[in-house]
Amino acid sequence: MTATSDYDSGVKSTRPVAQSDRIFGSLTLAAAVVVLLVLLGVFASLVMGAWPAFKEYGLPFLWTAKWNPVTDKFGALAPLYGTVVTSIIAMVIAVPVGLGIAIFLTETCPRVLRRPLGIAIELLAGIPSIIYGIWGLFVFAPFMQSYIQPFLIDTLGHVPVIGTLFAGPPYGIGMLTAGLILAMMILPFIASLARDIFQTVPPMLRESAYGMGMTRWEVNRHIVIPHVRTALVGGIMLSLGRALGETMAVTFVIGNAHRISGSILAPGTTISAAIANEFTEATTPIYTSSLIALGLVLFILTFIVLAAAQWMLKRMKQKSGA
Amino acid sequence: MDTLIRDRSPMTFDGVDPAPKSRISIKNLDFFYGDFKALKSINLDLPENRVTAFIGPSGCGKSTLLRVLNRMYDLYPKQTATGEVLLDGENILGKKVDLNRLRAKVGMVFQKPTPFPMTIHENIAFGLRLANYAKSEIDDRVQAALKGAALWDEVKDKLQSSGQSLSGGQQQRLCVARTIAVEPEVILLDEPASALDPISTGKLEETIHQLKEQFTIAIVTHNMQQASRVSDRTAFMYLGELIEEGETAQIFTRPRVERTSDYITGRFG
Repeated sequence: MTATSDYDSGVKSTRPVAQSDRIFGSLTLAAAVVVLLVLLGVFASLVMGAWPAFKEYGLPFLWTAKWNPVTDKFGALAPLYGTVVTSIIAMVIAVPVGLGIAIFLTETCPRVLRRPLGIAIELLAGIPSIIYGIWGLFVFAPFMQSYIQPFLIDTLGHVPVIGTLFAGPPYGIGMLTAGLILAMMILPFIASLARDIFQTVPPMLRESAYGMGMTRWEVNRHIVIPHVRTALVGGIMLSLGRALGETMAVTFVIGNAHRISGSILAPGTTISAAIANEFTEATTPIYTSSLIALGLVLFILTFIVLAAAQWMLKRMKQKSGA
Repeated sequence: MDTLIRDRSPMTFDGVDPAPKSRISIKNLDFFYGDFKALKSINLDLPENRVTAFIGPSGCGKSTLLRVLNRMYDLYPKQTATGEVLLDGENILGKKVDLNRLRAKVGMVFQKPTPFPMTIHENIAFGLRLANYAKSEIDDRVQAALKGAALWDEVKDKLQSSGQSLSGGQQQRLCVARTIAVEPEVILLDEPASALDPISTGKLEETIHQLKEQFTIAIVTHNMQQASRVSDRTAFMYLGELIEEGETAQIFTRPRVERTSDYITGRFG
């Protein structure tokens, strides 16, 4: 009180306002702190749960391919490999197609089709992953087995070098099928995010690009996409995060085999699929702890992906001179 | 700049060329936004190497008219133009017109600066590469264009910084540089100074003054003083109609139509 009375400005007191403003400030701070606490809590409990496994196997846990519940020998390499491979397949397919859909919707789509298509995409994003899983197992995997995979084996399988990617018998289920299901699941996600992002491009910027005599491809490739690259990379990374962690649908179609195969037609497993599949069967403490350690690996992998995205953005900015 | 410029018709001194050739002829042009008729049978010639200013109250169709000249309206559905707009004897409203080539011939600068998300150098070089200029010429042409837009001295040491890091006035001159670099025949300026401070506006107007030696320029402006400062001819539009067009000095001192003089003297608009 004495502090304000030094200013004898005739204004009675600003204190009540200042106080409510401070309360508001601390409320928002508290909300932000909750996020940090939850994150730290999850991380801490993962580390604690994984501790026995890391004590037993040490860091080689990360690059050991063995996963044998009978002899209690566990290593994370096979599910880690499966996670990365399925996510790569999913991204390679979903990113270009998703961007294509978004560009079509914002640029070339006839106005009458815009809303129905947009809604259809959002509905697709809303389908629960268990549905994708069942459909994948009963419809998509048999289809892959009888048509797509034999075709791939017959054609690309004979090409030197990349042929090994398509070697082996057509099982139907496997890493390729899981990757394709993942692609379908994140496709609407990428498409609707990218559409929203593209709509933030000022019409005048687009017009001035067309005004230079650019074609649609050039406008989108050189102006629209670079203009929104920050948001776009953010969106793609969000989708990658989804692909890395997606559990149910993948569990249905990947085959759940702890092995590392050069062929993407072969069965494999992912971290989240392994955890979901085996948690109930984990009878020994070291088995449970190894599964939690897998979870920690996934957590760190996701973190690395986000960090890499930040680094990429920084480099892109430097390149464009910002 | 001189080395860049194709040989155009010889000029006598500033603006006194007795009978400048018409570069663009607009004949019976109607324009529709859906059912709304925004331009009503416009007839107008834009003379070569002259600045033609379009003035009139908001919504009178002056920006619309500009957007017809490079078919920018084509990006949007339900916008249609009928009539004829001749550029070098070719009707640019025709169905078979190559829009990318047309827009390379008719450059445009917009109300707000729209630098592309790339470096200053690249902002200009990009258009040059699109227009198939030889690699070896690009650096020289970038420099010449920046000089032409009176921006060179301010950016010559930071050509590799982002175009978006410049001030608003500099960005707008970068857009002018980008437009003139590809040697269009016509430059459309749609209220180019509306987002600029007086000093930047002054520099831009000076640039326009120099550019008309090489280009045919159409400028839309809300600022009457600006129209009288930069233009040789002025067209006054009202409610989609071309009310009056003539030498700028004549329009501003002895307008033939009462509505023109009302607008110019500020009695309405």
